[in-house]
Amino acid sequence: MHETSIAMGLLNSLEELARKEGAKRVLKVKVKIGKLSGIVIDSFVFAFNALKEQSPRLKDAELIVEEVPITYRCKECGHRFQTESVFFPECPKCGSANLELIRGEELEVVNAELEV
Amino acid sequence: MCDVCGCGQPENLFKVSDDTAKKNVEIKKSLLSKNEQVARHNKEHWDRDGVLVINLISSPGSGKTTLLERTIELLKKELKIGVLEGDIETERDAERVRRKGAAAVQLTTGGACHLEAPLVHKGYHALTKQMGGAPDILFIENVGNLVCPSSFYLGEDVRVVLISVPEGEDKPAKYPKAFKTSQAFVITKTDLLPYFDFNVEKVKNEALSLNPQLKIFTVSAKSGEGLEEWINFLKEKLKEKRKALQKV
Ligand SMILES: Nc1nc2c(ncn2[C@@H]2O[C@H](COP(=O)(O)OP(=O)(O)OP(=O)(O)O)[C@@H](O)[C@H]2O)c(=O)[nH]1
Ligand SMILES: [Mg+2]
Ligand SMILES: [Zn+2]
Ligand SMILES: [Zn+2]
Ligand SMILES: [Zn+2]
Ligand SMILES: [Zn+2]
Repeated sequence: MHETSIAMGLLNSLEELARKEGAKRVLKVKVKIGKLSGIVIDSFVFAFNALKEQSPRLKDAELIVEEVPITYRCKECGHRFQTESVFFPECPKCGSANLELIRGEELEVVNAELEV
Repeated sequence: MCDVCGCGQPENLFKVSDDTAKKNVEIKKSLLSKNEQVARHNKEHWDRDGVLVINLISSPGSGKTTLLERTIELLKKELKIGVLEGDIETERDAERVRRKGAAAVQLTTGGACHLEAPLVHKGYHALTKQMGGAPDILFIENVGNLVCPSSFYLGEDVRVVLISVPEGEDKPAKYPKAFKTSQAFVITKTDLLPYFDFNVEKVKNEALSLNPQLKIFTVSAKSGEGLEEWINFLKEKLKEKRKALQKV
């Protein structure tokens, strides 16, 4: 459900950006969403596309989502690995649970393409 | 930005490149940056006022308000308690905790299923006005929902996730984010354990495998079981926070 309010927040900041840049339209926007971010990508895209219709500057904006996998680094042996599981894993190489999450929590707007 | 106390910060995080008909703009900004900015501002208020802030997250009906009622009864002699009650519509929960002797402000989200930092900011200013000063502990009861509230940092010191015995054992696995982002986990309504298939040890282990740092409590607001550990935890956290604040 919070996908809607996050999509709304993104559209507001794009509107602000377009105004500041004197742009006619926003053509593309790219976001990164980690698998641990708690965002359901389909709901987010759905909300974005439904809400963008209200703004002439935003209604043609294409949303590009890069899904970021969960990646840990083992603090014992340095091994990096990806996992699908949301549970706290163990290092597949040395079995240590002393891990650092390095990717997967992203929730970020990367860039936007404007028509000026 | 902060129209209440007038300490706004500028917000110009966009960086521009290129100059043709199409223009690329690097943004590199969290999708939640507005919320996070205000949350940090909230934290500044709370650190300045020396308030310990607890954000309670659970499904509807897990027993957040009931636990608060008991907590207030047990703490109000020694500490000033303030409550921000998040609800989609009604004033009911704020009235319940006021009857127990806490100051409370109801935050109605008008449909949104979680609290965001700006509404909490407004609520805190209203609360300190009502109290004529700051509380020692501020409880924020989030809207009953185990999904969204965990994405919105409010500036709290301690996030607490609650599961009641009748909800079943599978909740940690189904709502990992709430468990990963919390510092404490309260299993509520333990007086009902004889009537439900709910293996406390199994649930604890599952929660710990999501978040090994989690502090876990088992309480019954009805029988009073486990309340003492919970209360001691709160007092300990308040002491820790005040001590840390003295150092800086
Ligand atoms: N048996 C038993 N029932 C409880 C306990 N704590 C709360 N309840 C009951 O559970 C129901 C819901 O409790 P609330 O405290 O209102 O739950 P809540 O989490 O604040 O609910 P929302 O604000 O609607 O999300 C009420 O009928 C309470 O009486 C408990 O320890 N044992
Ligand atoms: Mg309640
Ligand atoms: Zn929500
Ligand atoms: Zn390893
Ligand atoms: Zn303020
Ligand atoms: Zn301010």
